Amino acid sequence: MSEATAQPGAAASAALTILIVDDHSIFRSGLRADLDAGLQVLGEAASVDEAITLVVALQPRVVLLDVHLPGGLGGGGAEVIRVAAPRAPHTLFLALSVSDAADDVVSVIRAGARGYITKSASGAEVSDAARRVDDGDAVFSPKLAGFVLDAFGAVAGETADTIDELDRLSARETEVMRLIARGYSYKEVAGSLFISIKTVETHVSAVLRKLQLSNRHELTAWALARKLL
Amino acid sequence: MLRPRLRLIGGVCAGFAEHTGLPVNAVRTATLLLTLCGGAGALLYAWLWVTVPSAPAGSGRFATPLPKASLARPSRRARPGSGTAGPAGPVEPPVTARFEPGDAEPAPGVGSAGDPAGSFTTTRAAPITEILLGVALLTAGITLVASRLGAEIPLAVVVPGIVVLAGAALAWRQFADIRSGEAQQASARLVRALGALVLVVVGILLFFVTGDAPNVWTVVAAAVAVLLGVAVVIAPWLLRQARDLADERAAREREAERAEIAAHLHDSVLQTLALIQQKAGPHSEAARLARAQERELREWLFAGTPTGSSDSVDLATELRRVSSLIEADFAAHFELVTVGPNVPEAPEAVVAAAREAMLNAARHAGGTVSLYLETGPRGIELSVSDRGPGFRVDEIPADRHGVRESIVARMTRAGGSALLRPGPGGVGAEVVLTLPAAAAGTAPAGTAPAGTAPPGTPAGAIERPIETRTP
Repeated sequence: MSEATAQPGAAASAALTILIVDDHSIFRSGLRADLDAGLQVLGEAASVDEAITLVVALQPRVVLLDVHLPGGLGGGGAEVIRVAAPRAPHTLFLALSVSDAADDVVSVIRAGARGYITKSASGAEVSDAARRVDDGDAVFSPKLAGFVLDAFGAVAGETADTIDELDRLSARETEVMRLIARGYSYKEVAGSLFISIKTVETHVSAVLRKLQLSNRHELTAWALARKLL
Repeated sequence: MLRPRLRLIGGVCAGFAEHTGLPVNAVRTATLLLTLCGGAGALLYAWLWVTVPSAPAGSGRFATPLPKASLARPSRRARPGSGTAGPAGPVEPPVTARFEPGDAEPAPGVGSAGDPAGSFTTTRAAPITEILLGVALLTAGITLVASRLGAEIPLAVVVPGIVVLAGAALAWRQFADIRSGEAQQASARLVRALGALVLVVVGILLFFVTGDAPNVWTVVAAAVAVLLGVAVVIAPWLLRQARDLADERAAREREAERAEIAAHLHDSVLQTLALIQQKAGPHSEAARLARAQERELREWLFAGTPTGSSDSVDLATELRRVSSLIEADFAAHFELVTVGPNVPEAPEAVVAAAREAMLNAARHAGGTVSLYLETGPRGIELSVSDRGPGFRVDEIPADRHGVRESIVARMTRAGGSALLRPGPGGVGAEVVLTLPAAAAGTAPAGTAPAGTAPPGTPAGAIERPIETRTP
């Protein structure tokens, strides 16, 4: 995934290409109709197998991926990412879920999704999130930020001493996550902390990386329970 | 048969009397007499002491298997003059004095029978254990008495017979306990199983050893008998294992079924509700209804069965409840994010102040209102932020009590504080309620590796790096 984010060149040309993966046809059509004009929906998939095939065949820039999907080996959205990502190097995944359950979300994030938003988000919000992902940023919902704070023990006062430490958040990252958990947008976070939006995005990406790579026991426990490791 | 808690020595006589309905004094006398017959009584006493379980500590369950005794006793008490067994104290001493060195309590064996007359449930269907034990005891007694009197008793057969009977009785009780699902102490189970095992083996071997002229057939018979005996003793344990396994499997199946239903509802109904909200726009009636339904369904699906006790609700649940109530009346949607360990008992001041802040946000701002609850070693912090027109405390007329009285003053009284400031990016309003761990009392305990806040922390001392930077 990180290679893909490093070079957002080829695929993201004029229109942002999107693939919608959701087993609910009403939801797919609804979302499709609501997305911005600047987003070009290449196709829709309803199951794990279908999604993998379409991702590899169409090479969309962003896949809006439901966490819960039938088919495949039963791994849902995470399985799609694990199987399809190596064969679609420029494709980024944004997880969509009706669930706030932390293990659902963390499973797709750890599989490589670049962010997570809830399905009650409006078409404009989804479009915005897709663009953000296309720009190489991570998309964190307040819930996800809250979960991150919880899982990394940030509220208990644990902070990382070096930027290389994967199992704890730095003080600044904790602050950013706190504000996102309060419903602040990136811009508002930047304004509150007197830093640039780019810096906020850097922090969020760093947190996402920690979320994906950390071996912190809370995360590992979830990952183990979901057979991710 | 159970040994009562109040006892002279081991409570065996009292328990036996209780169980059979015989007067306890008669039982004690019989025991003494038996003891004089070559020590049989003492042996029996010791054996029963070891093998008969004590009555449960709570007096409510004291006399569970003993309807007869429980019925009989009060009536006897009520008529102290009715010669058979008056209040045990005066009648008993000549017999029991030897058993009772301290004599602190008058007639403890009987006194223990102060069981509530209401508990008449029998735990066993057929008193096989008692019958077997009874037969064993009876045989023992008769044999001993008879041999004392000079009768020719085939001791070689009778003694092992008694032992085997007793062993079988013990084993049977294991079965009975298992059937009744009664929880046993592991030690009691072990003692009893070992006792039964030893008794059965010894008894059967005795047959063999004391038999005349051992030949191949007696050896084979003894071996088979020992194996059978062991099997009988071990069977209850095996049965228990099998039952545990079946229970576990059933529980797993139920869980799987529930998960399947949850997954199905998750995929269909929740999606549709999300879609309705998305299509209808945040302020519409349809969205509100859909949201309420979604919340209910979600709670049912993921929170498991609703907690029965309504008096102690954790803070997050309480906030969710308040959210849904307010959402029903206003075009607002609360998004609650909780971080940190849950607060098991919602502090009243925080809930009340939060309700007021949420109502304000819903009434004046509407739309999406963010609730952020952070619990940690420092205490509770709850932020309610909206994107409405916003307000300033000093601009609020003095006669408007909402904010000042219901939020600020309430939090101050509880030892916390409330802060009002502009919302995210200077838009709207944010109310931050803080309650230090010391004031919260029941606040998240045992989760703080860094150490909890010192008891005397002033309310405003909670560090909040963000707040100092807001314009």
